[in-house]
Amino acid sequence: MKRSTLLGLLALPLSAALIAAPWAHALIAARATPQLQVPHGWPAPHYNFAANPVTPAGFALGRRLFYDPILSRDGSVSCGNCHQQFAAFAHLDHRVSHGIGGVNGKRNTPGLFNLAWQPELMWDGSVHQLELQPVAPISNPLEMGGSLALAVDKLRGDASYPRLFAAAFGSPGVDSQRLLRALAQFTGTLVSADSHYDRAMQGREAFTPQEHAGLDLFREHCAACHREPLFSDFSYRNNGLDAAPRDAGRALVSGHPGDQGLFRVPSLRNVALTAPYMHDGRYDSLQQVLDHYTSGIQSSPTLDPLLANGITLNAGQRRALLAFLDSLTDDSFIHDRRFAQPHD
Amino acid sequence: MADRAARLLAAAWLLSLAGCSLGGAPAGLPLRIEISHVVGDAPLQLGNTYRTAAGDSWSAERLRYYLSNFRLRRADGSWFVNPQSADSSRGYFLVDEADGASKQFQIGPVPAGSYSGLEFLVGVDAARNGAGAQTGTLDPARGMFWTWNTGYIFFQFDGHSPQSGDAEHALSYHVGGGGGATAHSVFLPLPAPVEVTADTSAELHLHADLARLFDGAHALHPASLFTAMDAAAAAQIADNSAGLYRIDHVHRLPKAGLAEGS
Ligand code: HEC
Ligand code: HEC
Repeated sequence: MKRSTLLGLLALPLSAALIAAPWAHALIAARATPQLQVPHGWPAPHYNFAANPVTPAGFALGRRLFYDPILSRDGSVSCGNCHQQFAAFAHLDHRVSHGIGGVNGKRNTPGLFNLAWQPELMWDGSVHQLELQPVAPISNPLEMGGSLALAVDKLRGDASYPRLFAAAFGSPGVDSQRLLRALAQFTGTLVSADSHYDRAMQGREAFTPQEHAGLDLFREHCAACHREPLFSDFSYRNNGLDAAPRDAGRALVSGHPGDQGLFRVPSLRNVALTAPYMHDGRYDSLQQVLDHYTSGIQSSPTLDPLLANGITLNAGQRRALLAFLDSLTDDSFIHDRRFAQPHD
Repeated sequence: MADRAARLLAAAWLLSLAGCSLGGAPAGLPLRIEISHVVGDAPLQLGNTYRTAAGDSWSAERLRYYLSNFRLRRADGSWFVNPQSADSSRGYFLVDEADGASKQFQIGPVPAGSYSGLEFLVGVDAARNGAGAQTGTLDPARGMFWTWNTGYIFFQFDGHSPQSGDAEHALSYHVGGGGGATAHSVFLPLPAPVEVTADTSAELHLHADLARLFDGAHALHPASLFTAMDAAAAAQIADNSAGLYRIDHVHRLPKAGLAEGS
């Protein structure tokens, strides 16, 4: 007790001196800036930061923009309104997105993490590159209701953004490329790879026998689509929600009638945090999701053959599977202060 | 996809280096291209009413499109490839009927030689179309960008037709490059070889005949085709958009005329 106080007293002036030194600022800032590190055993990411290197000022700008409603037409909605960190950047309790003027969108807000590994974005794969994704919500009349040009104009006229853009990109100038690249520095470095599952796989923690049984069941029934380690194979499939899909899904983008009602296989990392579930948020709980797979599969011409006969699980197996899905929650990710709303 | 994009970007970068030539002095003069939008023999007037061969009426309110990947064919069959660079929109031109300045631009520097043909894409190549956020003419804030299937709108014609099946009789012909669609390539033989020397270049004056948008490779009927916003619906419009262009005439341009930049 006494010793630690003493140490603390000694450390205080030392750390004050450290913080005062400019190089220490740089050091602290660099430590606070996430970089895209490929976790052991993961494939190479799709988004390449080579043309958009993550810098402390660039990441800080992206983070600030993500939480700033300035990007919406009337300054009322930020990315962070719909993508909440405590829900792994999904929108807790909202079936479909809730945008500007309180209007509802048509799809459920997915969690945001490991985006750099996604070959395409959105439930239907309509966005082909991470940097360009924000153009969709910014200009969607049901989300932020504005336009990219309007957002850039507002940032140019703002009291602090021109300075922050100059710091982030090394020369004065606010343009859409810089806006989009800064946002990608934030969204692209949201890496979630430190769940109980990950630590168990690395031998740092142990699965309970029930979790282990859940893993085996998962690999038997689910992993063909929800493939480890990202828990998605990023294909588009129909998992039997509707006999006649109300949302054409992938077919809207591809134009192929055979893609009716297909949606991207979502990652199941942090799935216990991202309720409600499915592209339209129709299920409130993972129990309901399991009910769907065991007894709710609707047959249709595009139903995935893997699910043609449903999945059979007894009560104990369901509990094991749920325990396993819980092990995919990454607490350090949702509490990572670097990704939180900045307070300044 | 990403791999191919990277290779193409690298190629574009090499090309841009080649364009700078040794020692920084441009390895030739720029070549000027001017585009006039016409209907038959008359200049296109936004808002005027025109008729298709089948007797349908149409008018144009907005006409915008990208031209890129210019190449000049030499008499010996080899090509001069107009430099494009991965970190700018150099070589990508956004032509807008409502913006006079956009209808005249320069490619090059073009090395001295004798040229017999001009080639370009109506739209944006797949590599750049699938790349990240761009600047200049390719800035997505210019509104020539789709978000429901990300990629550039290659060609945009908005107008009206009393025959249009749309409630407001609108015509919206948007040819787009979402999902890596391929832009159509146009090759125009030059009426006579164009000589580029150390002190003379040329202006190629192109006519884009909007009558051919409706009466081109396909006959378009506003009653049935009034809105096209995806690749399947716009396939015929895309074909026709590549058939609008011809070389109307060629001017010789002395170096001094180019420097004025007029
Ligand atoms: C009104 C709520 C709302 C706002 C505001 C919003 N989003 Fe989203 N976001 C969504 C919804 C809904 C989807 C899924 C849309 C779809 O798939 O059709 C989504 C999808 C995404 C995705 C794709 C995720 C994936 O797994 O494919 C990213 C990335 C994203 N949003 C980032 C952002 C950024 C950055 C902003 C701010 C510029 C933003 N969002 C603003 C609701 C919102
Ligand atoms: C044939 C491929 C396939 C199989 C097998 C499969 N899923 Fe899915 N899963 C999907 C698709 C596709 C979706 C998205 C469907 C939609 O929203 O339209 C999905 C969605 C989910 C969701 C909702 C996630 C979210 O964020 O909304 C959960 C949870 C889920 N699956 C769990 C499982 C479990 C557990 C199993 C095994 C018992 C399983 N899935 C088997 C394809 C599959």
